[in-house]
Amino acid sequence: MFQIMMQHIHGKTRLAFFLAPIIMLGEVFCDLQQPTLMAKIIDSGLAKGDFNFVVQHALLMVLFAILGLIFGASCGTLGSYASLKMGEALRQHLLKVALSDRQPGGLEPATLITRITNDVTQMQNLVMMVTRGLVRSPMLLIGGIVMSAIVCPDLAPILYVIMPILVIFLVVIVRRSVPLYTQMQQSVDTVNRVMRENLQGAKTIKAYVLEPHQMTQFNTDNQHLQQASQQATLATVWLSPIIQLMLNLGVVLALSYGGSLAISQTISTGQIMAFVNYMIQITTAMVQTVNIITSFARALTSATRVNAVLAAEPAEQLPVATDTVPSGSQVSFDQVTFGYQQSAPILNQVSFELPAGQWLGIIGATGAGKSSLINLLTRRFDQYTGTIKIGGVDIQQLSLAAVHHKVAVALQDSQLFSGTVRSNLTYGDQTATDAVLTAATTTADATFVTQLPKKFAAPVEQGGKNFSGGQRQRLNIARALVPDRDILVLDDATSAVDQTTNAQIKARLQQTRAKRTTIVISQRVTNVMDCDQIMVLTDGKVTALGTHQAVLQQSAFYRQLVQTQLGDDAHGHA
Amino acid sequence: MDMHKRVPRNIHREKVVLTDWRHTVGRVWHYLAAYRWRLGIVFLLTIVTTAVTIAGNRINGIVVDRYISHNKLHLLLVVCAVLAVMYIIASILTYFQNAIIIKVAQATSAKIRQAVFTNLQRLPMRYFDTHDNGDVMSRLTNDVDNINTALMQTFVQLFTGIISVIGMGLAMLILSPLLTVIALLSTVATYFFSKAIAKLTQKAFMTQQQALGSLNTQIEESVSNKQLVQLFDHTAATMQTFGQTNAQYTRAAFRAQALSSIIGPFNNMTNNLAYVLITAAGALSILTGGHAITVGIIFTFLIYLRNFTGPINNVLDLINTLQLSLASAERVFELIDESPEQDLPTAQPVAQTTGHVAFEHVSLAYETRPILTDINLVANPGEVVALVGPTGAGKTTIMNLLTNLYPLKAGRVLLDGQDVTTLRRQDLRRLVTVVQQESFLFTMSIRENIRLGRPTATDAEVEQAAKQAHAATFIEQLPAGYETVLSENAHRLSQGQRQLLSIARAFITGAPVLVLDEATASIDSQTEADVQAAMTALMQNKTSFVIAHRLSTIQSADQILVIKAGHVIERGTHQSLLAQHGFYAQLYASQFDD
Repeated sequence: MFQIMMQHIHGKTRLAFFLAPIIMLGEVFCDLQQPTLMAKIIDSGLAKGDFNFVVQHALLMVLFAILGLIFGASCGTLGSYASLKMGEALRQHLLKVALSDRQPGGLEPATLITRITNDVTQMQNLVMMVTRGLVRSPMLLIGGIVMSAIVCPDLAPILYVIMPILVIFLVVIVRRSVPLYTQMQQSVDTVNRVMRENLQGAKTIKAYVLEPHQMTQFNTDNQHLQQASQQATLATVWLSPIIQLMLNLGVVLALSYGGSLAISQTISTGQIMAFVNYMIQITTAMVQTVNIITSFARALTSATRVNAVLAAEPAEQLPVATDTVPSGSQVSFDQVTFGYQQSAPILNQVSFELPAGQWLGIIGATGAGKSSLINLLTRRFDQYTGTIKIGGVDIQQLSLAAVHHKVAVALQDSQLFSGTVRSNLTYGDQTATDAVLTAATTTADATFVTQLPKKFAAPVEQGGKNFSGGQRQRLNIARALVPDRDILVLDDATSAVDQTTNAQIKARLQQTRAKRTTIVISQRVTNVMDCDQIMVLTDGKVTALGTHQAVLQQSAFYRQLVQTQLGDDAHGHA
Repeated sequence: MDMHKRVPRNIHREKVVLTDWRHTVGRVWHYLAAYRWRLGIVFLLTIVTTAVTIAGNRINGIVVDRYISHNKLHLLLVVCAVLAVMYIIASILTYFQNAIIIKVAQATSAKIRQAVFTNLQRLPMRYFDTHDNGDVMSRLTNDVDNINTALMQTFVQLFTGIISVIGMGLAMLILSPLLTVIALLSTVATYFFSKAIAKLTQKAFMTQQQALGSLNTQIEESVSNKQLVQLFDHTAATMQTFGQTNAQYTRAAFRAQALSSIIGPFNNMTNNLAYVLITAAGALSILTGGHAITVGIIFTFLIYLRNFTGPINNVLDLINTLQLSLASAERVFELIDESPEQDLPTAQPVAQTTGHVAFEHVSLAYETRPILTDINLVANPGEVVALVGPTGAGKTTIMNLLTNLYPLKAGRVLLDGQDVTTLRRQDLRRLVTVVQQESFLFTMSIRENIRLGRPTATDAEVEQAAKQAHAATFIEQLPAGYETVLSENAHRLSQGQRQLLSIARAFITGAPVLVLDEATASIDSQTEADVQAAMTALMQNKTSFVIAHRLSTIQSADQILVIKAGHVIERGTHQSLLAQHGFYAQLYASQFDD
């Protein structure tokens, strides 16, 4: 954990990080002087009636108080600086790793987001704690014990009795409560799940009159939660009375035992008072130390989670990779096999040749490997065997930038970024002119943009919520057209667009077909049937490849699709 | 002193707007009233334990002045023994005080949760359509938690704090007005200093929050759309923008945090100063021959001081926390008060139907926007009615009216000649089975999920339904078969398999009327044939309404209604509609032809 922290603490930040706890020692030292000085005022000043002594020592106490403030404030400032700078560097690093991650089967986006936001904040708090609390409380604790032993060695045994008992109680209570809190968390999760499902499945619940069933279910879970949280909280309820009691008993012992010693003139009243004050300081410091250890454990989990993200950091690119974009735009796959497990490859020996300017239609069931094929072509994942070439060049010889300057993709999931229509359309080419944007929106049938009050400057909310699904898909296609790449991939990109519009978009795309190599992925026969080549993917294997007529002959699966989607009478069509 | 009772100390107190806090408090009390005796005991215990603390501290001083200074060893030991017993009793009482309040708080929040959930079951569909799930969830979880915390901690702490402050203040005032003023001064200084810092950092905190918001949005958007960022070679640009926001956040946060990090050390200093002043003023007063102050009084004050400043500052924070909790309570009660869908008082129970369905001049509007206009249709028992039209035309909405999910604006929906709004909703819904495009599967076994169609069904009946729905094959191939517990949202099953399960659930109801919302094209083709066959089997001997996307379904329908923008624009059979050369013919051509 400290490794991650130190990796993201550089230069000035490092200085602040190490200086802060040292300065903290100053504050602790000043705090510990107070009861001793007070004892001196009571014993020497009062007893001897020395007015000047009292004033001098009081001024000394004031001086220590002010010094304490200076030390404390400096430590706080340096600590905030170190923790915030560390957080900044860590966030930057994590986002970079997250965005460049090209491992298949990596962390879910939701998980990544939590790690970059919440977990980094936890780590930030940890640095703050390390620089301040981790020094202050234990040092006050130790310093308090040492000082009280110095000021009043006769009473010190009281501490040796009280402290171990207190520690044992704390350990027992905390250890007993941890499994109970885990149980409580499980109950909380269950209740939350039932509630969430109840909201998500509201319509199903009404349709099947499941209300009574849901009520019974919730009733049971809610009762479990009530019991579990009662048990967990009750387990820790002893904590504060015990700490309070130990402290109070310590005071009573100091008074009775100390008092008897004072009566026999062994120690003074001031010493007893100082001792009692140190004891209060020690107990407070002890509670704080326990708190810090608890939050430390929490931050430790965060550190582990952050570490898991960093572990995915990609190796540097191969030195042979070139940024030169190949001139040709033919695409070929030769014996390409890809999969997480050897036994069940997602793509199995896929081969095809797509000449420049031609259209390839890929059809197959969900999970047949259609999207994986595109992921490999765009070098999202590199863990495959076989060869993939663009313009006759092995894509492993090309840099990522070179590949992405050759291939534009419109994904099925048409996500927009918050900003403006323009910032979304120019995502692949920030220098695109309005003329280019207009041409792209016309081709993609996204001309509704020109009817918006602000046209290209129209705002886009997070997730593109202020546009309909169909509008988003059309903007998504336009976005892929703006950079004007030689190869275009439409990955089921028109599923929410109605058939008439779909046909129009296709027609306009085909007007430029001589120029652009196009790959269309779809589950609709109509979307692929007039491509130059149609590929049927079944369980990662190419089961048919050729024109519509040829594939109709080769593939029973394709024939069946044509029949269910086009009807009996459409059999010989196209 | 309490480690599990930490109150978050925000120097920027959130501004809370409470519409009617008296009313809200009254309603919370309504839930608490059942425990009023226990709460009364807690009240008494709090007074006793606080009094012990105050008295104990005073006795410490007296011990110093009267026994130690006057060498009365015997009395010293007796008083100390009494003190020890007092403390032990007080600790036990504190335990009971906490235990009782925890039980009451947990029971109360469980009751509130139950009340919210119960009402949630009865809310009309419109509520779920117009309310964000996240918002409702937050009321059910965070807000109920806030109430729980308020009852369990804030309330007791506030009460203890107030009693301590008043009790100690009085005790101090009686002992020595001079030292009391010194102690109060430090408290006042601490309070005003925090306020001044808060004011100074307010702008920085706001900038920090804004930067944080934009930071989080950027993280969320870029990480969720990682593939897009990579495909469009946008990583460098994204990182640059993020770097700017990140640095801006750090600057603002530093300005805010560095300033507010002085508050802790400052409070520490004022405490220390008060400590000095009390010691010095007390000592000087004794030296100048005053009799008002003794060493014991100084001693008592020094201990009071440590217990006094804390509670006063706490009380101010606690009041704010309490306000936040009241706002939470308000949000929870809002949900409890949402008006449920209610059957008419004259609603008729109905157990059977022939399956004759009619829509007469049905119109529906949302606010002023018309959604459906003048829909008419008659379906005879056993007929198949197909609804076709563009997405968003209102096909699903029409079918929702059959189960009385939404109130009509005009017209009537009749089942066997009876207006469905005059029937008991539960009875009606048991007679009409709906298979949605994406029926919801719950986190329970496959067997239980199917059984939800009819809770009284036997295991054999469940398995029979699965067979009829062509789902038995894949279920039996799963390692745990019918006992496979579906994970949340059933992600492990394919879309087609989930659909087969919902068809099985529909089979088991045995209801005479069926509404089928066919999935659009992106269902996986492997199970496509299974789904088709299962749906055809399901429609046997039932009056069926199908929101159709498949040609085979449409071709075999007894009547087809073409819906566009909430109107029935064409109706007839497949052949007669094609002959019309209207919208249907056009739709058919674009969808099923090239």
